[in-house]
Amino acid sequence: MRHLSLVACLAALLAGPATAGTDDALDRHVLPAMETFAEETADLSRTAAAGCGAEALRPAYHAAFDAWMGISHLRFGPLETGGRALAIGFWPDTRGFVARSVNGLLQDADPVVSDPEGFAEVSVAGRGLFALERLLFEGDEVLADDSYACAYIRAVATDLARTGQALQADWSDHAALMRSAGEDGNTVYLSPREAEQALYTALITGLEFTGDQRLGRPLGTFDRPRPTRAEARRSGRSLRNVGLSLEALRGLARSLSDVPIPQTEAAFADALSVAEGLDDPVLADPAGRLKVEILQQRVELVKTAVAAEIGAALGLSTGFNATDGD
Amino acid sequence: MKTTMTALTLVLTASPLLAGKAEVLTTYADIAQAGYEDSLMKARALNDAVDALLADPSAETLAAARSAWLEARVPYQQTEVYRFGNAIVDDWEGKVNAWPLDEGLIDYVDAAYGGATDENAYADLNVVASSSFTLSGETVDAAQITPALLEETLHEADAVEANVATGYHAIEFLLWGQDLNGTAPGAGERPWSDYAEGQACTNGNCDRRGDYLKAATELLVSDLEWMTAQWAEGGAARDTLMADEDAGIVAMLTGMGSLSYGEQAGERMKLGVMLNDPEEEHDCFSDNTHNSHYYDGLGIRNVYFGEYVRIDGSTVSGESLSSLVAAADPAVDNALRADLNATMIELGQIKAAAEAGFAYDQMLERGNDAGEALILSAVDALVTQTRGIERAVTALGLDQIAFEGSDSLDAPNAVFQ
Repeated sequence: MRHLSLVACLAALLAGPATAGTDDALDRHVLPAMETFAEETADLSRTAAAGCGAEALRPAYHAAFDAWMGISHLRFGPLETGGRALAIGFWPDTRGFVARSVNGLLQDADPVVSDPEGFAEVSVAGRGLFALERLLFEGDEVLADDSYACAYIRAVATDLARTGQALQADWSDHAALMRSAGEDGNTVYLSPREAEQALYTALITGLEFTGDQRLGRPLGTFDRPRPTRAEARRSGRSLRNVGLSLEALRGLARSLSDVPIPQTEAAFADALSVAEGLDDPVLADPAGRLKVEILQQRVELVKTAVAAEIGAALGLSTGFNATDGD
Repeated sequence: MKTTMTALTLVLTASPLLAGKAEVLTTYADIAQAGYEDSLMKARALNDAVDALLADPSAETLAAARSAWLEARVPYQQTEVYRFGNAIVDDWEGKVNAWPLDEGLIDYVDAAYGGATDENAYADLNVVASSSFTLSGETVDAAQITPALLEETLHEADAVEANVATGYHAIEFLLWGQDLNGTAPGAGERPWSDYAEGQACTNGNCDRRGDYLKAATELLVSDLEWMTAQWAEGGAARDTLMADEDAGIVAMLTGMGSLSYGEQAGERMKLGVMLNDPEEEHDCFSDNTHNSHYYDGLGIRNVYFGEYVRIDGSTVSGESLSSLVAAADPAVDNALRADLNATMIELGQIKAAAEAGFAYDQMLERGNDAGEALILSAVDALVTQTRGIERAVTALGLDQIAFEGSDSLDAPNAVFQ
């Protein structure tokens, strides 16, 4: 294998500034997904402005959350700036920060909700989709439009829309930066390979996050499953998030590779079909545990296929990522 | 022509480079051994100070114990860079430096702390006040608070990481108590009388609290004794490191990069700013977070520069990772040295402001722009140096080696069978 890797490495060097993968990933995956997120959060904000009825707001919340699954793995550049990823989706929340922040604002009737600039400074645990989930799925079904909770919901929605817009704008700059990798004056990406590596790291890290966190946290251990740790369980989206994140990661994998990736395709198809076969929306059914474990193994196999087929072919390895550490 | 020359130089220097790796690894192991030994000596001094506090509780003996704890953190934080690349350290360090903790497990807390959470049913267990309790369905006899009780039964009880029963931060909580000042000035204000005898005892169970403090401190000493031995000649950590030179160098760089980015820049610094939560500071009871971050950063720099200043002022140094990278690509080395130094300046500015009275938890306050800017510029510097570390990995050709160690490349078809 050593010789093969060396050949792949040399081939990559000889090919010169091979940015096809980066260009494709940006045009076919990153930029459209950012646009969708901006649109859905803008729609959520408009819906909230029209009224706080759960009937209208919950579908808009779900659409925005779906769009978040399309970009949540792109944790570098604009999504890391100013902690935006945390401000959109603060999860996992291992110490109950969301409950504490949301209840704190509600109890104090903190006037910060009527000031968009001030609200942008509020703890990330009191903002974003998980704060909204508490407000829409744990509170009263019917909220008066002049209630504090409604003002809070509107502040969260406005804040999400603002973030969506800023992400889209910043990504058009960041895309240019990635496309000009290796050119004079580009101090972020010193070579085309560094831009590809950033995307590849996002792909591998995203797969690890879905396997270890989205599936692993509620699984816990056989003796001690942890159903209350499932992502977005209050809105019944835990399994849905797994499927959507896998689809998004498949999109990134496809766009990143210049050549067919049959093993990766097969592994994604396999994982997605296991996910579709699960009838356990919040990953809490003890009888379904084995299937969730199988799904977790399938996601691990996707990662293996991606590393062998895309990583090795491009001469890429995973860089350090935001979830290294504890 | 220039390119050819460079290529030629690389080929010609190939074998001396290989010889250099062993020496670089030796320096790395020597620094680890010295760092853990320094930490051990300071932990023993802390143990003596705890004995003095328990023998004669007073404001003075409590203050002396706190000083000993603060000094003990200086060498220990510089060893944290050894965690992520060395499995033997990573598997062990949770006993010594786990954080964050639900301190209500250990002792009394303020009413605002709340009780059990979704994540942790034992967040308010209060072992100091309970000589018997039920844990994961089993009755625990805690009449005697011993190192074994802490280590084997309480630590990570119910498989919850926030149940931190041992290590520096458990001791810190027992010496300082909760910091109830929020994002206002001031650290924890546990009265010395929490360890007083008889009528003078405040908040109850002073003898059990003292037993807990003593047990936790003794454990810290024995844990550090063990780790120091692992890095001595013939120790498991040193032998594992030296067994495969390339893997050893990867371990060095992995430790530097993982601590810089995911752990320090992300989990410990940025998250605190984003949550505006004063408990999201690393040494939250003692308000020592600025030092904790500073010495973490210095530890990363020590590894790259191959130099560590011991607690007695002497220096451990030798052939450095920096020289290895310089031989492969001087530009990458220069940039990374500059990045590491820039980080120390940023972390030094946080330390300077904190020591002048602008405590780290004040920096976290919602809308505190100066504090946020101080912390986030250090975060940016840490992220920048992480990119530099990745470039060093590439310059040394080690990304391919790390690759070849994985199943997927050694046996690409095996996984699909």
